Amino acid sequence: MEFVMNIILSSVRMATPLIFLALAELYSQRAGLVHIGLEGLASIGSLVGFLVSLITGSPMLGVLAGAAVGILVNMIFAYATVTLCAEQIVYGMAINIFAPALAAFIYRVYFGAGSELVQVGLMNTLSGSLGITSDNFLVRLLLDQTPMVYLAYGLVIFTVIYFNRTKSGLNYKAVGEYPKAAATLGINVIGVKYAACVICGALAGIGGAYLTTCYANTYVDGNVAGRGFIALAAVIFGRWSGAGVLLACLFFGFCDALQIRLQVGSFGVPYQFFQMIPYVATVVVLASIGMKKAGPKSSGKPYLKEER
Amino acid sequence: MDELLRMEHVSKRFGDFYANRDINLSVRKGEVHTLLGENGAGKSTLMNVLIGLYQPTEGKIFLNGKEVRIDSPAQAVKLGIGMVHQHFMLVEAMTVFENIILGDRNTRGIFIDREARRKEILELAERYGLDVELDRPITEIAVGAQQRVEILKTLYRGAELLILDEPTAALTDIEVEGLFKIIRKLTEEGKSVIFISHKMREVLQISDRITILRSGEVVTTLDRSETDGQELANLMIGRELSPSHYEKVEEPGDPVIQLRNVDYHKASKHAGLSGVSLTVGRGEIVGIAGVDGNGQSQLAQIVTGVLTPEGGEVDMKGSKVAQFTPNGFILENVSHIPEDRNKMGLIGNMSVKDNIVLKATDSPEFSSAGGYFLKKKAIRSYALQMQEKYDIRCTSVEQEARNLSGGNQQKVILARELEGEPDLLVAVHPTRGLDIGATRFVHDTMIGARDKGCGVLLISADFDEILEVSDRIVVMFEGQIMGVFSGKNPPIEEISLAMAGK
Amino acid sequence: MKNSGKLVSFLVPIISILLAFVIGCIIMAVLGANPFVALESLWIGAFGSLRNVGTTLARSTPLIFTSLCACFAYRCGVFNLGGEGQFLMGSIVCCYIATQSGIEGLPAIILCLVGGAAAGGVWSLISGLLKVYRGQNEMIITIMLNYVATLFMGVVYTNWLRDGSVPQTQAVPDATQLSRLFGLRVTSAFVIALVVGLLVYYFLFYTSKGFQLRAVGLNMTAAEFNGFAVKKYILMSFIVSGAIAGLGGSAELLGTQFRLINGFGNGYGFDGVAMALIGQLHPLATILVAIFFAALRVGSTTMQAATGVPTSVSDIIQALVIVFTVAGLAMVKLPGFKAFLGRLTERRKEAA
Repeated sequence: MEFVMNIILSSVRMATPLIFLALAELYSQRAGLVHIGLEGLASIGSLVGFLVSLITGSPMLGVLAGAAVGILVNMIFAYATVTLCAEQIVYGMAINIFAPALAAFIYRVYFGAGSELVQVGLMNTLSGSLGITSDNFLVRLLLDQTPMVYLAYGLVIFTVIYFNRTKSGLNYKAVGEYPKAAATLGINVIGVKYAACVICGALAGIGGAYLTTCYANTYVDGNVAGRGFIALAAVIFGRWSGAGVLLACLFFGFCDALQIRLQVGSFGVPYQFFQMIPYVATVVVLASIGMKKAGPKSSGKPYLKEER
Repeated sequence: MDELLRMEHVSKRFGDFYANRDINLSVRKGEVHTLLGENGAGKSTLMNVLIGLYQPTEGKIFLNGKEVRIDSPAQAVKLGIGMVHQHFMLVEAMTVFENIILGDRNTRGIFIDREARRKEILELAERYGLDVELDRPITEIAVGAQQRVEILKTLYRGAELLILDEPTAALTDIEVEGLFKIIRKLTEEGKSVIFISHKMREVLQISDRITILRSGEVVTTLDRSETDGQELANLMIGRELSPSHYEKVEEPGDPVIQLRNVDYHKASKHAGLSGVSLTVGRGEIVGIAGVDGNGQSQLAQIVTGVLTPEGGEVDMKGSKVAQFTPNGFILENVSHIPEDRNKMGLIGNMSVKDNIVLKATDSPEFSSAGGYFLKKKAIRSYALQMQEKYDIRCTSVEQEARNLSGGNQQKVILARELEGEPDLLVAVHPTRGLDIGATRFVHDTMIGARDKGCGVLLISADFDEILEVSDRIVVMFEGQIMGVFSGKNPPIEEISLAMAGK
Repeated sequence: MKNSGKLVSFLVPIISILLAFVIGCIIMAVLGANPFVALESLWIGAFGSLRNVGTTLARSTPLIFTSLCACFAYRCGVFNLGGEGQFLMGSIVCCYIATQSGIEGLPAIILCLVGGAAAGGVWSLISGLLKVYRGQNEMIITIMLNYVATLFMGVVYTNWLRDGSVPQTQAVPDATQLSRLFGLRVTSAFVIALVVGLLVYYFLFYTSKGFQLRAVGLNMTAAEFNGFAVKKYILMSFIVSGAIAGLGGSAELLGTQFRLINGFGNGYGFDGVAMALIGQLHPLATILVAIFFAALRVGSTTMQAATGVPTSVSDIIQALVIVFTVAGLAMVKLPGFKAFLGRLTERRKEAA
């Protein structure tokens, strides 16, 4: 029982960065932009979040800074893919190479080569700041969480409402489905695409910053560990809907939680085999969905205004 | 009648090419004004200028006597200009309702007030006799219904001027009648309609005035009452319509391909086949007539091995086809001019030369050592020979195929598909988007192949083309064969009825 | 038009490199170093002596393999991001054969290289099968398999083939190591890489199969309509690209590293993708780009010693090159830019 409860608790926590990243991807793809560069955005977000949190002593400011730098870097992606019509996949890859290199560089410059591991205080949980201590499962599940967890789940609810109930959400979706039709109805296609890049960059930056302000108390190169790509899988698995994406993220979060718990009682099996679980689960899940194609129709295609 | 729209000296240039040059056009309130012209005459470009998708290079536009600048589609909507595009601008993943309210600026508030919007839409629909089902996804409704959604969409945005771009292209005769009723209702209510078409009969039926465009310029504007079909046709084409007809063959040779009761996705009316039996003999052209999307694409892909039928049998030169693969059919000497030349026919990023030899690089003529050494010189000289023979106009055979004009792209495909003297040629919309010269060239080439003993299956939505070259005419409707007619003195009335499913 | 197209595709990377260096220099200046001294030491470090050239070429060897892997796959329209995993699986199998089979010398080398290539090919084939038969996005699958391969290598060096207390495998026997060329760091692995590059080039542009593979990559539907076995080519591109990476992993193990250890091959997969894209999928251009990247890396060590600028400046420069090149290549394809070029050439004609 203890084991199950612990896994549930840590699933919720492990799912949080994935939710931010998967929502980032969702907002991007709903505007017709496939973004495989989230891994890179998250890595720079994670570094900047870490640095700002270290300098100011406020993890919250760290998260904000992560969002800001995510937006900044993603504007490169926006300009290249929306304005220059570069291939989105290729440019996502460029971001995946550029952003981590930038993160590593800033880290080296700031701390000097061969420095010791620097640690930073993590964000308080709600019960922590309220001064509540309890071993009750529900109390821990609902209150022993950082504000970022509430933000993530709140954003999921917001996203569901936004895309299904609001006019602006409907227009947004139309851009990803059929930009030319959207344009004839007076929807500013280019504007929506840029807005999508701002949202995507911010969320991906927050997802990265979460890792260094709420999860681990230090930054190491490669700490995003494929979450940017797992988030991509979560969007496909979640059929491009807010609720589906949440479930997919919880599932992948569960896999992550499971592997950590299993490592503890490893029974002589090399721990790396457990670490493979989230990655193997992603492959298995994707393979099981099969051929069925869905998702925004114009995703991945450039939008040229004066086409001839 | 008052004037609603006036365009003065409007030009639109792309690079060095004038798509529109010095256009003057005036549309009155409550009239149906037809823009008549061939493909590429500049009709669509002009309309895209009017709805703010393109900015005119020169010229002025007046609405109700006031000069306006239409710099975006949003601006056009605000000015009361709405367009129903030939390829519908409907988001397939959404419902009819969602498509209608998309981009709505008339209402306040963040959320969608479904009840209020529904009421408004249904009122409008009633007023103009537009029968729509609001909660069905676009993918589930027929083409005619989709068109009504498009019209409703423009009306919902308060359009006073509706532009209908080739609205009858995808409709059956019955649906066309329904559309005309709606158009009359619209003009009765004081709306103006710009009707774009190249179908003479419909133009004469619905128009009040007709403006003829040719090569991007206005030829003239005429009142319906003072003109007739022959005059319009002559003005549109710029010369007399010569009834040049090919000699029709009445006695075909041995069957090349025979289909018996072929089924494919039977339930689908628009993308399936049901019990299709058909024979193409040597030395004849069998024309499949019918409105687009009645199973023609599927038929073409079955007789070229791309799709495998779900029921029935196909005989190729007398023996049953066991496996359906494109390569198997190519080995049986079947050639294919596919419906979408850019997507299915050409490798756009490869050169003209490479596209001409695309299927043949394994042959000893173009490679040695079992395909492990390409004879580049032989390929090049062959390509030059083909360029000459098929009159392919390109800067060099090294030019990328995607940079060629549609007609020259089609010639590249013809060179590849016909040079091997095929036993069966499957040609789907072979002249779509081509100018008159190129069309004539394609027709001559097909007739030439026929006279050498090739069986030709021609699938085309262009009825005139079918009449022009077919030796036998087969009509398809909703995946079924409605009748077979002789190509010599074809009974046009009967065929038209069959195309409408009767 | 064709010539100007070629010129542009050559100019874009060059301009991108120059731009990247300019920004790199600004960064160096901001960090308080003299950019000219830094660039000079970068050059000396990479090419200043025969010995340094040898080191640069040695560093470029694994990069050439992974970039050829990416290049081959993309030519068939397959976005294989799994070069790293395939590289690692190759090196793992190679390590087993080299340390466990008891064979040594040339026969072992041949066996190791073949085994490594086979392992890379099989590992890549998993993604290929999932793409072709389950319609899966190969990018996500290949990346997930990269992580699996990295972890699997962890099992090998921390557990199964661990050499005493240090988390690393036993070393490849001396007799099985690849020989050095002219006493420099660079080994015969570099020669193998060049040969593979030439073979890929020959295959793609001088054989009928290569022609058809490119056709599949450029327009899959048209290739299918014209009777090409599309699925076969896609699977082949997975296997061959994986085998190239696997061969690279083996060559790196036998030529340079000799042991599997934490960080082995780290980042080579994505680096390969970047280099293939900068080289615009031309195998020979790709090799040049790989050597350029390697020179940056080798030279940056000298630069750090001379000026105190951290070596990761070179990573930034590399990343900027890819960011600029891809954007630049997209830009020159825009209709507006084409019209601009057209006007320029016209004016020149008029002037002439």
